Amino acid sequence: MGMNEAKLQEILDQYPAKVQKNRKKHIFIKRSDVESQQIEANTRTIPGIITNRGCAYAGCKGVVLGPIKDMVHIVHGPIGCGYYAWNTRRNKAKSDDPKQNFINYCISTDMQESDIVFGGEKKLSKVIDEVMEIFHPKAITLSATCPVGLIGDDMGAVAKAAEAKHGVQVLSFSCEGYKGVSQSAGHHIANNILMEKVIGTGDQEEAPAKFPINLLGEYNIGGDGWEVERILKEIGYHVVSVMTGDGSYEAIKNAHTAELNLVQCHRSINYIAEMLETKYGTPWLKVNFIGIQGTIESLRNMALYFDDKELTLKTEAVIASELARIEPIFDQYKKICEGKTAFCFVGGSRGHHFQNLFTELGIETLLAGYEFAHRDDYEGREVIPTIKTDADSKNIPHYTAEVDEKRFRLKVSPEKLEELKAKIPLGEYKGMRFDMKDGSIIVDDLNHFETEEFIKVLKPDIFTSGIKDKYVIQKMGINSKQLHSYDYSGPYAGFNGAVKFAEDISMGFASPTWNFITPPWKNQPLLEGTVTEEGVA
Amino acid sequence: MAEKNKENVSFRNVNENPCNMCMPMGGILALKGIEQSMVIVHGSQGCSTYMRRHIAEHFNEPVDVGSSSLNEKGTIYGGEKNLRQALDNIRKVYHPALIGIVTTCLAETIGEDIERITGQYLIDKEMEEFPIVTASTPGYGGSHFEGYFFTLKRILMQLTEAAEKNNKINIIIPNISPADIREIKRMLALMEIEYVLYPDFSDTLDRPFAKPYTKMSNGGTKIADIRSMGGAVATIQMGITIEDGISPGKYLEEQFGIPLYNIAIPMGVESTDVFINTIAEITGKKVPESMKQERGRLLDGMIDSHKYNFQGRSVIFGEPEMVYGVTKICVENGVFPAVVATGSQIGRFNQLVTAAVADCPEQSKILIETDFSHILAASKEGKVNIGIGPSDGRYLTEKGDIPLVRLGFPIHDRVGGQRLLSVGYTGTMMLLDRITNTLLENKYKSYRSSMYEKFYQQG
Repeated sequence: MGMNEAKLQEILDQYPAKVQKNRKKHIFIKRSDVESQQIEANTRTIPGIITNRGCAYAGCKGVVLGPIKDMVHIVHGPIGCGYYAWNTRRNKAKSDDPKQNFINYCISTDMQESDIVFGGEKKLSKVIDEVMEIFHPKAITLSATCPVGLIGDDMGAVAKAAEAKHGVQVLSFSCEGYKGVSQSAGHHIANNILMEKVIGTGDQEEAPAKFPINLLGEYNIGGDGWEVERILKEIGYHVVSVMTGDGSYEAIKNAHTAELNLVQCHRSINYIAEMLETKYGTPWLKVNFIGIQGTIESLRNMALYFDDKELTLKTEAVIASELARIEPIFDQYKKICEGKTAFCFVGGSRGHHFQNLFTELGIETLLAGYEFAHRDDYEGREVIPTIKTDADSKNIPHYTAEVDEKRFRLKVSPEKLEELKAKIPLGEYKGMRFDMKDGSIIVDDLNHFETEEFIKVLKPDIFTSGIKDKYVIQKMGINSKQLHSYDYSGPYAGFNGAVKFAEDISMGFASPTWNFITPPWKNQPLLEGTVTEEGVA
Repeated sequence: MAEKNKENVSFRNVNENPCNMCMPMGGILALKGIEQSMVIVHGSQGCSTYMRRHIAEHFNEPVDVGSSSLNEKGTIYGGEKNLRQALDNIRKVYHPALIGIVTTCLAETIGEDIERITGQYLIDKEMEEFPIVTASTPGYGGSHFEGYFFTLKRILMQLTEAAEKNNKINIIIPNISPADIREIKRMLALMEIEYVLYPDFSDTLDRPFAKPYTKMSNGGTKIADIRSMGGAVATIQMGITIEDGISPGKYLEEQFGIPLYNIAIPMGVESTDVFINTIAEITGKKVPESMKQERGRLLDGMIDSHKYNFQGRSVIFGEPEMVYGVTKICVENGVFPAVVATGSQIGRFNQLVTAAVADCPEQSKILIETDFSHILAASKEGKVNIGIGPSDGRYLTEKGDIPLVRLGFPIHDRVGGQRLLSVGYTGTMMLLDRITNTLLENKYKSYRSSMYEKFYQQG
């Protein structure tokens, strides 16, 4: 049973009129016979509509800063905010120096009522002193929570004084939870300050090895980044820095030395990618290491960019050997998955990326969407100039990078760049809509009510989402897969990740547990044979 | 305020790996135990999302909680418009019988008067009979433990009337597992008494699989029952550690003259005896034979295990009420509670625990308002060999090699937190077995080699 405009209207009719009018703009059914289909995104969630979105603090501290392992991330606020963002994203990190890996720590100023009344600056500055004494980190971040901005704590001044006192960088992020409309505001705030204060502060002028790249928007959930790095290193690339999964402050400082920036999650990191191009002349390439074909295509595009015979040969050799190894295993799983249907609703890029894996497994994606993406993530970057800046975006501090006169260097000639742009997505992202089939539905900021309604109409075999939906889906008798935390599995990126994903999804379908979902008394007699006066015959 | 002295309170400012969550979290849990209720968190939507995420991961259940999604504009002009909109939408989509509103740091810092806003809302909508309950629960106002009891008290203040006298006993429970709640109900059924159990999230947060799925789950304390709690014979409140200011049982006593029996969670022989005896005392009913048998079986098991238990040196941490209950079990079984800790600031805790451990041959270390860095340091100093508490204690295992018996809320890295049975005679036995077996498991791991080294290698 497919979706059509009439059925969609039936679902929306259940809303109060105002809500209906609003939600209608966030949903469309893909049609390729029209040139553009506009979606409303990155606008306020309607109060009382149960969204999966979080706050600016979650996007800044939770997503972008949290994975940087060799900085201590201090949460300035009441205890809850720190607690709730403690080890909840499964961004793995391993450090050569175990004393400089703070990934498992939750550090909070634990503001009390008196701090709200009298201000929390003194406490914050004491906490920084204590953190320096306990951990001796190379740098510190301070993330603001809702009350901080309201009571007017000047975190910037505290940071500045602490820098002078301790001689290490102390970065202050005004990512109060009420800023913007979702996590997305926090990504932007984090991007701005990493660009302004960290990137380019390293003293390397050139990368120490050939083919240096940065991997942007890879958060190493379940080890994704490690699998991607494995492949890249095997081909011969030098990974300067990863932002920010298993990321390191020391490495990010030298991110300016890369010759190419790879962008995995466009939503959370495109600001840094753009600014790196402006400041240092380094182009960025949209990659997608989710899915076998996605990985192959990304690798080939990188080879085209560097245009080096040996690198190209090695790329093809690695692809061939990886395929020979994994395809037979992958195909076994495909047999289980073939012909099934999926919903794919994740944060800001995976809602698109994971459709690759579903297609390769023979699973059709009926519905997809993002929690906190912008219009360009759905419709492609060409719509960016037409997006109006609203009041909510205006309260995110503005930062524009300027050309670094000393270090700016065109990595490829303008002519070559144009030539490449015709072939590969350099500085380009076409968005989710481009890859979706006609008749499939795209939903922005899907909520619990719509989740249930779309499931009832389209009856997908699997729903990939996060923990807040997981149990609704499972209670409806449908296979679910968490694509935020991977249900404590992974990696799902790269070649090995594709196999792991195929295995996990297949096992989800094949589990004997589902056989008991329909109780026997619903469709068959409880007892075989006939009941007579003496018992069962 | 908690009583502080140099012994048990940290003078550091930093909280390194917290042992508590914030007030609205407790408010949500309390409201989840009311029949057909929905909760709105008045504040930035991240609060609601984070708390739903943590509750869902512990209970493995859908946790629908609304938010008024305040943004920067709301911080300037107030959140009334957003809150009213949230109420409209929650009512339309969920058709709840009650809506509970808890606040956040944001709402409280900008000084939102939610009682006035909701009062006006009900007048404007001409639905003044509809129950909306409010609780001011700023994140900086206390831990989830205080938020839980404070919200329970607020619900009573807004719903409970001077009802006609009835034969029921109010049973007010802390944040225990759905399995624990069901066990308490089973015990009450065995005692053949009439009661109102408040709150009751044994079904709402541990729902059986059934088709079709419905947005609102069955179960929860009935609103009519909450209204009539003012006419009960007595209140038994498992809240021995809580202060009077947030005590729902104390409120019922002061407001309606209902005698309050404030007792510990029935964990361990003594505390369960107190629970059973209190019921017997109030109702004049005899303790049924089967209950006596359960007690006998617990004693039999305790004797069987005592030779292993005395080797245990425990660190107990989490919410004050649960920690106190576990401390009693440890003391009764010769597991020395070397460190007893909570992240909450609860005045009576120190005094109660001090009394509970008074007969131990060594001095226990009691920590309040603490974090895991202090708990770990004290555990190392106290040569602890077993931890009992929520899953955040995995930090003790990772950094201090202390095996952990997971108990309480939250349990995020294992399944089944909602099914852990630890109350009553039977539940105590099950928890004690988990403790004893964890001690044994660790002993077996290295017993032969350590014995060999001790007796043969040194000579």
